[in-house]
Amino acid sequence: MSLRQQFQAIGTLVQLNGLIPIRAQPLYLLNLLASPLSFLFFIGIASGGRLLGYGVAGGMILTMLSVGTGLQSDLTHYRHDLKFQDVIVSSPVTAPAYLVGMALSEFVYSLPGMAVFLGIWAYEGWWSWTNAIVLVGALVLVWAFASTLGFTLATYFEDVRETFMFSPLISLGLSVLPPVYYPISSLPGWAQKIALFSPTTYAAQLVQGASGQVAPSFAGAVVDWVVLGGFTLALLLLATAKARWREP
Amino acid sequence: MDAIRAARLTRVYPQAPPGVRALDDLSLTVPSGRVFGLIGRNGAGKTTFIRIAATQLEPTAGQIEILGHDVMTQTDQVRARIACVPQESRPLYFLTVEEAIRLNLGLRGMSRQIARSRTQEVLGELSLTELATRSISRLSGGQRRRVMVAMVLATEAELIFLDEPTTGLDPIARREVWGAIRRATREGRTTLLTTHYLDEAETLSSRLALIERGRLVLEGTPQDLRGRVRSPYRVTVEGSFSLEELRSFGTARAIEPGFLVFASEANARALAQEALRRGARVAFGPVDLEDIFLEVVGRRIEDDREEAVAA
Repeated sequence: MSLRQQFQAIGTLVQLNGLIPIRAQPLYLLNLLASPLSFLFFIGIASGGRLLGYGVAGGMILTMLSVGTGLQSDLTHYRHDLKFQDVIVSSPVTAPAYLVGMALSEFVYSLPGMAVFLGIWAYEGWWSWTNAIVLVGALVLVWAFASTLGFTLATYFEDVRETFMFSPLISLGLSVLPPVYYPISSLPGWAQKIALFSPTTYAAQLVQGASGQVAPSFAGAVVDWVVLGGFTLALLLLATAKARWREP
Repeated sequence: MDAIRAARLTRVYPQAPPGVRALDDLSLTVPSGRVFGLIGRNGAGKTTFIRIAATQLEPTAGQIEILGHDVMTQTDQVRARIACVPQESRPLYFLTVEEAIRLNLGLRGMSRQIARSRTQEVLGELSLTELATRSISRLSGGQRRRVMVAMVLATEAELIFLDEPTTGLDPIARREVWGAIRRATREGRTTLLTTHYLDEAETLSSRLALIERGRLVLEGTPQDLRGRVRSPYRVTVEGSFSLEELRSFGTARAIEPGFLVFASEANARALAQEALRRGARVAFGPVDLEDIFLEVVGRRIEDDREEAVAA
């Protein structure tokens, strides 16, 4: 299969798992919007608007993480209940094309939520080219590692119910304990050390910086990019080595 | 070139009890351009064989080539030339029938224009045109199965794997699927079919293989298989016979109503003449695939029981 045909397969997956189900049931769009906007509402109300920036930054990261957990559930369901993955495996579509296509299709669901957050972000006066580039870059990396993690786990789950068990644990490890909705300085010293093991900590520092909440040093920003990029690369390598495309 | 060449294929599942092999040293050749039927009991190893051949599952040992390419080392070349309907697979329920078929072709890299035209063709072949715009979620189980078959037959694949494609279909829908498979064969494509409908296997397949406990038990044309059973003729008689009397002609057992006897051609003719002389209802003819299946598999089950008792 040529590169052009792989891109065609990716586009078809976006249509098949993103655009068509949304057309059939537009309420799907509210699913990814509900949690981040609820948090934003609580944070905004509780802080009198003072911590709105953290709510927006956290909401954007949580939305990207939700793409990964949504992907994990969909892929597990399609693999076990519909045998869709077996149909794809026995075809010219490669595993990377399937991963990218399905991850992009899940991203489509996050677009309304991202539009809301980006609207607030721009309205609050945080727009600049530098901030925009940092924001987009960090969120793309979060989307990439969350999707890769979801894809890899989905190839191991034996039942879709296992995803219901793992998704809250993954959310806890990636969006509650790490300082996604608050500055890392709010955590006690021992918790800060634990938070450094999560890639979302580094993403949060970048996004919070691009949202005018913290002023990271140049060296700090470089560390954030290197660690976040390294985590994503490591997960991609892990997926290449461990994801079960053909059952061993 | 053969479509499939499997040599000493073995598969042991990680959680299987010790000594249990899903495939056990199985060697099989599937010629190109025909329908090849794979039959056997539930759990005999048919699906495991298809999953290995269709690049979904790794073998534990042995080799398998698809259209001249090694399944393990030349996987991309294999995947470009095959398509599969897995057992119990269903199309994505939020698509329409037309979308499910057309988008599957798009996934495989077919141009939009050709995909649309192939979709219309196969919709017609499988009498799905009226359902084209209906959501999969609103179809019956049999209709969904037909959509899966249509998705695969619409592709350009040279080798098609159909794992129980007609399960749940009504007799008319089954025959429509048979027609589509025959058309695929006329186009020079190869189909590897598993089914529990032995009439279907016999009607469609130019060659058949019977697998039992992961091993190849019988392989050949339907005529070959008939020739390899001990009693190539079956006679059913009703009335004025005792079981003991019938056993002098061959293997006899009571059925409702009357008796079923498996016998040589000469004994079958003699029994039929005797039955007619006595005015009893009688029918006789060559054994069918179901008889062969029951005799071969039944004999192996009996052998296993005897071994277990002896042990």
